[in-house]
Formats: sequence, structure tokens, C-alpha cells
Amino acid sequence: MSGHHHPRAIGGKLLDRPMQILLAIFGVAAATMAYRFARGLGPVSNMTDGFTWGIWEPVNVVVFTGIGAGAYGVGLLAYLLNRGRYHPLVRPAVLVGAIAYTLGASSILVALGRYWNSYWLPWLPYWNLGSALLEVAICVLSYVLVLWIEVMPSVLEGAAASQASGWASFGRRYGPLLDKAMPYVIALAILLPTMHQSSLGGLMLIAGPKIHPLWHTALLPALFLVSCLSMGYGAVVVLVNLLRVTWKAKQDQALFAEMSKVNAGLLLLYVVLRVGDVALHGKLRYLGANFATLLFLFELALFLVPAVLFLTRRGQQDRGLHFGAAALAIAGGAFYRVDTYLTMYRPAGWTDGRANPGGWDYFPSLGETVVTVGMAALGIAVFILVSRLFPVVVVDDQQTSNLGGADVRAATSH
Amino acid sequence: MRLSRRDLLKGAAVAGAATALAAEAEAREPVPGRPDALGMLFDSTLCVGCRACQTACKAANDLPADAVAAGGGVYDAPSDLNATTKNVIKSFGDGGARHQYMKQQCMHCVDPSCVSVCMMGALHKEGEGKRLLDFEQKNGSGVVLYDKGLCVGCRYCQIGCAFNVPKFEWNDALPRIVKCELCRHRGDPRKTGPLAVANPACCEVCPRGAIVFGRREELLAKARARLAGDPGRYNPRIFGETDGGGTQVLYLTAAGVSFQDLGLPSLPEESSAHFSETVSHAPYLHGVTPVALYAAMAFVISRNKKKEGEGQ
Repeated sequence: MSGHHHPRAIGGKLLDRPMQILLAIFGVAAATMAYRFARGLGPVSNMTDGFTWGIWEPVNVVVFTGIGAGAYGVGLLAYLLNRGRYHPLVRPAVLVGAIAYTLGASSILVALGRYWNSYWLPWLPYWNLGSALLEVAICVLSYVLVLWIEVMPSVLEGAAASQASGWASFGRRYGPLLDKAMPYVIALAILLPTMHQSSLGGLMLIAGPKIHPLWHTALLPALFLVSCLSMGYGAVVVLVNLLRVTWKAKQDQALFAEMSKVNAGLLLLYVVLRVGDVALHGKLRYLGANFATLLFLFELALFLVPAVLFLTRRGQQDRGLHFGAAALAIAGGAFYRVDTYLTMYRPAGWTDGRANPGGWDYFPSLGETVVTVGMAALGIAVFILVSRLFPVVVVDDQQTSNLGGADVRAATSH
Repeated sequence: MRLSRRDLLKGAAVAGAATALAAEAEAREPVPGRPDALGMLFDSTLCVGCRACQTACKAANDLPADAVAAGGGVYDAPSDLNATTKNVIKSFGDGGARHQYMKQQCMHCVDPSCVSVCMMGALHKEGEGKRLLDFEQKNGSGVVLYDKGLCVGCRYCQIGCAFNVPKFEWNDALPRIVKCELCRHRGDPRKTGPLAVANPACCEVCPRGAIVFGRREELLAKARARLAGDPGRYNPRIFGETDGGGTQVLYLTAAGVSFQDLGLPSLPEESSAHFSETVSHAPYLHGVTPVALYAAMAFVISRNKKKEGEGQ
């Protein structure tokens, strides 16, 4: 990697206005969570015995980690397939992954009724290996750790370049050590998401009678695995575009053009699996003039449209169009996930594609929404903070930065 | 993206091997037969909806009233199972000849979803969990027990249970999962047979014998005898004999009434737990796949890194 392709700390004022707003939003969420811990889940949520996971599990865990899967996707390309050109994307993607997964895991803790018992979870003799959720819990918790280890090279590099001598020698000492161990960490960082992203789909296998047949299939693990990658690659594109606009980060559109072919392949693979499942397993009879069909087609469109855009020359080179396609890829995966977990889930089950009367309704409460939005705000805040302090983002040196004018501190590295 | 022919071949080989291995993976073992499994038999043609069982259940399990105001009074009148109701009588039909009362409580499935999904075995078949509760024995009773010390309150059991039986204490800062445990705590070791292990209050109190307690096999025989004795009276099926892999609580209902009319789900013979675990475990090959994948990836990644280092 040549010098000007190297990431560097953005610097700048830490507690600027956007940061204040983000922290304020999280503050409201934190207050809501405090109330939840004092009074139970009922008073803050619309969750019921029928819709027991509300939006926290499907959105905070299943969608957030899908967005965080950019780290997994870029890791696959950069390290396993050895495409060195992807290295500039690794650090931002890994940081987003670390944050998204940490928030997902913390959200689980808020949603758990008897969270204090979770200290038993690492105790192997109590593991029920039949439980997909146990697999997800153990795997996600380990992956959170692995992701933050993957963030560490940025921190240690930042440390090595700092003026404080103790901090600098710490960075110089442990940086190379970590560098040696990285291949083994990275292999884990690819294995773990492969396992738990398929398990996130596998989680819903057992709810068979409760999920609309167009969504319930033995292919759930495969569909969740493929959709996490398409979401992850989409998230990386969206992220880099946002970083370019805010901090003049380097955006290598030629690289994105290459990556878009990979994502197009994934999106099309999803469509083939999904349509194949419906066609081959005799589920065509559920298609008709109904909400389920509409939602099914809408989801497919959210996969097909970005796939086609990613394959066209304009979709690869026009930044706006490319950004739009990437956003659609995220939306496709997010809709698929939320629909499987919530929209097409009915506690009393389905008969011939029609929901049985069950006596339960659900729409997220203000409290639930506030916590979900607050967690996302916290995630953005942490990303900004870390990028300002440590070398994560690759800034384009060819452009003169006028961002923040005199406020911009000299970057800590270089 | 430029993929060399070698890359494609590598990818194809890996994908092919994975598929072949997954196809060969054996299915999850079937649940062992439990000849001493305990259960109940409910006959909706006998139930008159007096709700004595509901009251007895609350008393036996120390559950508070589900206070409902109606007609100027306040009644313990739960409309469904909930955090203070482990047993409920529901009414189905138009009040005519086919009107039926339906008793709902934990089905104590032969291969329960709640047990399959429970992360640390808080919900488990008696004597088959990760640890024993103080009264628990390895007696093959098949009663699904709840160990609150191992429950993290994730509520996956509520997602998994096709009967929507486990309930959660939503308005409690220290909530538990609430469900029927077949009055396991009322078993009397001085007695013999099933009563030595458990003694459901609902069965003890039913004035019509609409709900009876016993060994599942004996209850099945009893149900078959009733069907044979008065075929015109009954729907010829016994719900729970095979439904969802079988349940230890069995149901009979009247001719012309389907079990779906009583709010029971229509389930295949394969249990959801068996389906889910078979599909989920197949690619793992008893843990071989992750280890092999990890080793292969660590090798490829470190080799790539070395090559990159040499290139610079």
C-alpha cells in the first residue's frame, strides 16, 4: 500500500453539533432503557406473548448485523481471495461491523427478560446445541470480540504515531505483534459470520407453522447468509459515499464497479434461491391478488433492481446511481429479514396462506422505536469519534480539504 | 472482477465438497421413546365448561386472579393463557349441538420446540436437562419443567411453541416464563404409579372426568377404547398421537368438529424441533466443517499475506 492510500485520523472537534444531536437521541433511548430495567418490558413496549420479539430482535439484531456484515464481505474479498485493492475498504467496514454487532449484542441484553442469568452463557456444560439462538449468541459475542481486535491495528497505529511517548511505545510494541496474529483472527472473522448469519435464518425454521409459506423454507439459512453479504456490500458503498461527502474520503469507483459485479451475483443468487424454492416446493398456489404476493414481489424487486443496476455500465460508474443501487440492496435484505421475523409471522399460524385469527396485534411502541433509533444514533456517534481519533478512513489527498476550516486539528498520523 | 480459472475451480471444488458433505450428514436422532411418559386426556364431549379446573390450577400453583371487570362485578376470568393463568377453558361454537369447550395448557410435547430452542435448557424434559432441579428425577416422565435459574428471558420458546403456551411476565422487572408443569410439585412419593410423580389439580377436580391424568400410553389406549365404543360420538382422530411429533396431552372431540375448530394448530407428523435441528445441523457435520473451514482459511490468508509481503 502506498503512502497516500493509507488511512489517517480525521481530527476535528469531537463534540460538534451533529455529535451533540446524536448523543441527545441516544440519551432519550438510554432513559427509556433505564425505565425498562426498572419496570419490565411491558410498560415500554407493545410486545405481547404473541409478538414476543417486537422490533428489537428483527431490527436491532438481525438488520443491524446484516449492515455490519460489510466487514465479512470485504474481508472475504481482501483476504481470502487476496484482492489487495480492497484494503482501503477494510478498516471502515470493520469499524462499522464492530459497532453494528456490539449494538446488536447490547440490544439483546436490553430485550432479555432475565438478562442477569446470561452470565451462564459461556458455561459450556449448559449449552443446548439444538438451539439456533445459542449458536447465534455465542457466535455473535465471539465475533464482537474478534471485530474489535480487527479494529485494533488502527488504534495501535494511531498510538505509535502519537506524541505521548508511553502511548507511542505501546503502539510500536504491540502493533507488529498483532500484525503477526492477524491471519488467524481474520480466518475467525470469516468463519463466525458464516455460521451465525445462516443461524439467524435457521432461528426461524422452528417457527414453521407461524410463518407464511412464501417465507418459510429449509433454505432460510442460505437466504440469510446470501442476504447478509448483499446488505454488507451495499453498506460499504453507502458508507464510503457518505465519508466522501463529509470528509472527502477517497472513493475508488473502479473498485466499486468491480465489487458491484460480486454483489449483483449475490443478489441474483438470492432471487434464484427464493423463486426456486417457491416454484419447486409447490408454493405457487399462494401467489395471487393478496398482500403476501405483493410483499413477496416487492422484496424480489428490491433484489432484482440493484442487481441489474450493478451490472450496467451506468450503474457502476455513476456515483449517484451506484449509491442508489447499494441503498436498495440494503433495503432488500432489511425487508426480507424483518418480513420473515415479523411482518409475515403470525402466532396463531396460517391456513392456505391466510392468517388464522389469533387475538394478537402488533405495532412498535414509541419506547421500542426510540431505543432502536437511539442505538443507531449511538453507532453513528461512535463511528465518527473513532474515525476522528484513529486512522480508519482513507482520505483523498488530491483534493484540498476545506472541511471545518481552521477547526481541523493536524491529523495525529503523518 | 477478474477471476482466474483457478479461482473458479477452487470455488467450485469447495462448493461441491460442501454440498456432498451436507447431503451425507445424518439426520438428528429421533427422540427416544419414553414408556413412562405422563400426560392428560381431554375429552371435549364431556366438558361442560364449569371452569373448576381453572380455579383449582390457580390454587395449586399459587397464581393470582386475572381480574376482569364485567357486569358490575370483578371476576377471575382469563380469556387466554397468560402470566397468571396456566390452564384455561375456552368456548368454541354457536351454542348449538356442536358447541365445545376446550381446555388449554402445556401439551408436554414428545419432542418440544421450547426445549429444542432453549439456550441452556431452562425448559427441559424432566431428568433430561443440563442440571437437575432439587425435586427432579431421571424418571422418563417427559414433563416439561422450567428452571428459572437458567432462563435468560429470551422468549424464543414463545416463538417456537406452535401452541403458544409459554407466557412471559411482561409487567415485572424480574420476569419469569409461566406455563403448566403438570403439577409436578404435587406428586406424592408415598403413592404408586403416576400419582407418585405428579398430580395435576385440574384432573383431580374435574367433576365430569373430562380431563384425566395418567401414563401417555394408557391414555392413548383409553382414547382408542372410547372411539371404538361410540364411533358416532367422536371425531375419529386423537389429537396429539402424532401431531407435531406427538404430545403427552391428548384430545378427543365430537363428531363433525375439527381440532382446528378448537384452536389447535394443524401440524405435520414431523416435529418442528426435528425439522429445524436436522436442517440446521446438516452443514456442521458434528463440528467438523467449522474446524476444517477455519484451518483452510487461516492457511490461505497467511499464505496470501506472505505473498503480499514478498511482493513489496
